[in-house]
Amino acid sequence: MPLPANEYQGSFLGRISIRRNQVISMDGNHEQEMEDLELFQKHVADRFVDLVSPAEDTASAEPLLSIAWLRRLLDTFLCCESQFKALLIMGRDPSHVVKPPLDRLIPELLERSVKSLDICNAVCNGIESVRHCQKLAEIVVSALEQRPMGDGQVKRAKKALSALVLAMAADDKEGNHKTPERTWSFGRRVGNKDRGEGNFRSLSWAVAKNWSASKQIQAMTNNLVAPRGGEPTGLALPVYIMSAVMVFVMWALVAAIPCQERTGLATHFPVPRQLGWAQNMIGLQEKIGEEWKKKEKKGSAGLLEEMQRMEKLGQSLIDFTESFSFPGEAEKLEEVAMQVGELADICQKMEVGLMPLQQQIREVFHRVVRSRTEVLEILEHSGKVPSPIM
Amino acid sequence: MEQPPESGSGRWSGLEFEAARKIILRWDSTASEEAREKMIFDGDRDEVNRYLQAVDEIQRSMSTASISSTAEDQESNNMVNNPATIQIAMARLEDEFRNILLIHTSPIEADSLTDPSSSSSRLSTDESLDESLSLGEGLDARVKQHQEDEEQQPEGISADSSSFSHSSYRSTSSIREIDLIPEEAINDLQCIAKRMISGGFLRECIQVYGSVRKSAVDASFRRLGIEKLSIGDIQRLEWDALETKIRRWIRAARICVRILFASEKKLCEQIFAGVGTAIDDACFMETIKAPAIQLFNFAEAISISRRSPEKLFKILDLHDALMDLLPDIEAVFDSKSSDSIRVQAAEILSRLAEAVRGILSEFENAVLREPSRVPVPGGTIHPLTRYVMNYISLISDYKQTLIELIMSKPSTGSRNSGDPTTPDMDFAELEEKTPLALHLIWIIVILQFNLDGKSKHYKDASISHLFMMNNVHYIVQKVKGSPELREMIGDDYLKKLTGKLRQAATSYQRATWVNVLHCLRDEGLHVSGSFSSGVSKSALRERFKTFNAMFEEVHRTQATWLVPDPQLREELRISISEKLIPAYRSFLGRFRSHIESGKHPENYIKYSVEDLEDAVLDFFEGYPVSQNLRRRSH
Repeated sequence: MPLPANEYQGSFLGRISIRRNQVISMDGNHEQEMEDLELFQKHVADRFVDLVSPAEDTASAEPLLSIAWLRRLLDTFLCCESQFKALLIMGRDPSHVVKPPLDRLIPELLERSVKSLDICNAVCNGIESVRHCQKLAEIVVSALEQRPMGDGQVKRAKKALSALVLAMAADDKEGNHKTPERTWSFGRRVGNKDRGEGNFRSLSWAVAKNWSASKQIQAMTNNLVAPRGGEPTGLALPVYIMSAVMVFVMWALVAAIPCQERTGLATHFPVPRQLGWAQNMIGLQEKIGEEWKKKEKKGSAGLLEEMQRMEKLGQSLIDFTESFSFPGEAEKLEEVAMQVGELADICQKMEVGLMPLQQQIREVFHRVVRSRTEVLEILEHSGKVPSPIM
Repeated sequence: MEQPPESGSGRWSGLEFEAARKIILRWDSTASEEAREKMIFDGDRDEVNRYLQAVDEIQRSMSTASISSTAEDQESNNMVNNPATIQIAMARLEDEFRNILLIHTSPIEADSLTDPSSSSSRLSTDESLDESLSLGEGLDARVKQHQEDEEQQPEGISADSSSFSHSSYRSTSSIREIDLIPEEAINDLQCIAKRMISGGFLRECIQVYGSVRKSAVDASFRRLGIEKLSIGDIQRLEWDALETKIRRWIRAARICVRILFASEKKLCEQIFAGVGTAIDDACFMETIKAPAIQLFNFAEAISISRRSPEKLFKILDLHDALMDLLPDIEAVFDSKSSDSIRVQAAEILSRLAEAVRGILSEFENAVLREPSRVPVPGGTIHPLTRYVMNYISLISDYKQTLIELIMSKPSTGSRNSGDPTTPDMDFAELEEKTPLALHLIWIIVILQFNLDGKSKHYKDASISHLFMMNNVHYIVQKVKGSPELREMIGDDYLKKLTGKLRQAATSYQRATWVNVLHCLRDEGLHVSGSFSSGVSKSALRERFKTFNAMFEEVHRTQATWLVPDPQLREELRISISEKLIPAYRSFLGRFRSHIESGKHPENYIKYSVEDLEDAVLDFFEGYPVSQNLRRRSH
């Protein structure tokens, strides 16, 4: 059907599906609504099944919180979001968004959207520090791949490994996340005042000074209350579901990727267990939460699966470099060769996967912006008195 | 000791090699105090050259040694020592590299931080105007500026109402690279980089380069006042504060793209000249990727902020500035690895365009639904009228950009919808107009529609019509006063407006004066009968009394009404006089003798013609007058 050319280019009107082009009347089709609701819940539940990898799975499954898994997580978000928007907007009288309970719930959702946008930006920025670790690891691989392995290569690897381990262990407190980028071979030279600054690479976050990822997540969970079963819920339930999914996705991203100020990241979310669609999500939450608690004690750069492995390998290889003397024991060398191979593999995964991950996060960003804009437009035109212009 | 080989032989020269190795080891900072204290490149140039030659020698011997394949060589110490020596050399070079960079790394100098386009006089007009607008004025100030301008004009409308001219942000682009590092230092860095790369230590080189230069860029950002604000922060800020930030950002962004980033790029190209573009590109990205994203995040946050009418013009400024900058952005970020930055800039531009469209739509909605019901005292120009007309005058200043951005007709009321809350508008006869022009006409239509509704809140029909007359007149004057606006609105529609204006004036006159003039009619005064002279004295007395009372009332009331435009005021008075004075004169002429022949004529003929003429001059002045209508000299 030909689309009317109007001011709202590219808005939801441009995506009306054939099936849903009848306007459902106000007091209308309650059955249809219930059916839509059921469908939505099932859809969400199904998406989360895909995300949960069985315990003893083969190598083909993506490990929890790996780059590949995160990309699937973001896909899940995008799918749920489209379904949600279809439910909210299409075939309905737009004025329902200003009636209770949506008159309260929608603005809350919009608030959460804004926080998600900031989290997307922070995580994209955080991926740069992952990339930094990747670069350091590549030096290690390059050094230790050479044969025969001599003191020179090992020294080189050791330097890079120290920097790598430090980079990963540094806390992500606000402001300057200082890590000695490359340890100087010798002490600081006196006299030049500029030297002091440059001694460390200040991997300062490109986010606002007082911004805290954990606080953002916390704020997003405020008011996240499941609608009570007895109430006529209408659209309150889908709004809740979408909000819960949004919070989960953002939280998982923050847990995985280093970004500013994650201490005190919540590990528990108030999603009632009895909600069918939420079972798998709750399961994932618990797993990730557990991991986070473990890691927080040790202090680390994040739960990204590749980073975790890199950290372990890094530690092991540092021990090796510290105790190495030419020519080294054959057995040990073989073990190291395997570890280096694994490290190279991780670097490869990062090389291939980090950019697409960033792009996908940008896609999520754009989608959230678009939906927010559309909802704001509906709010403006739904007969509310506009803000005074004089 | 073996003899030095002839060139081309596959055997390394033991003598030269040993000498080189000694030099390298002497400068091993893990081994000697002296090596730790001093930097090679800070010192004697001869030493620098010796060291570099030594490195070259070691590297040369590495490559020739790898050609030789005797098992003996493989096993010999040297095959192991060479990499060890190389590693020591590379580590040293890395430190030297870092040192040179650090010595010459300082944030960009303040005097380099001039906007490359600030020499353009059009821009400085805008900037000086910007400077004179203190925080908190924003659109209101621009609108007031317009009003002040028009007040300062002589009576009537000046042809050039652009004393505040929106100076376009579309200036010519100019990239200006500056030298961030002196030439000798660049040469040294080149020498080192070349050797690090051929030694297989490319990664370390990129890391060091990136970390030092990035902190320099960060420091420059701080100097430029580029803030780190989250999207949440920006949503919460007052628009006035944001306007200032946007202005600052535009200035800073120009400097960043055209000077700072361009210069960093040039530096990379210089230092890594001849070793392949992938490397200088990698260093460039390492240096500026995060800062560039940080820079554009601000503009992005603005582009997604909630829409409201006051934001239109600053967002247009931001749009124009970014569009102006786009060719330079594409020139500076021309590699594959910087795709995301180019893409982000283009996305922001497109969102800003969407925001402009959305805001225009919001504005139209707000004008239509502006709800104030308190009638303006005196029937004068409503603040809404002033605001809207000044707003669209400003829009016509931004015509160049808006014509391109506004691509579709106004959506409301384009068909006869039968919706009583929206006016109807037939766009059929306006086919050849641009969408922007249609929007402007539409805005005037809905303004009148709204005003019409407001006029009904007056209790007195006369003042309703006066009110409409005043406001439509103001609209007409504003349109006539701006050539761009007039050209877009078109004379056809202007004629329609003028027609409405006249209609309102006529309706006013009818509402007020029909009844008054009714007193001065002939019918009903003549009676037939043998005892009278044909005129009913009592009826006549009634007439005079009624006339006096009515006129006094009208005079008392309508003196307090206001027609702000002097010309219109005059015209209206003349029009009243033209009907009133002759009618009264003729009435007096015919019937005064009847009154004067009776008792107390002064109770009935209170006013002379001159009295009335004087009284009319009080009308529409906007303040109450004494009720003594009689001339003092009488």
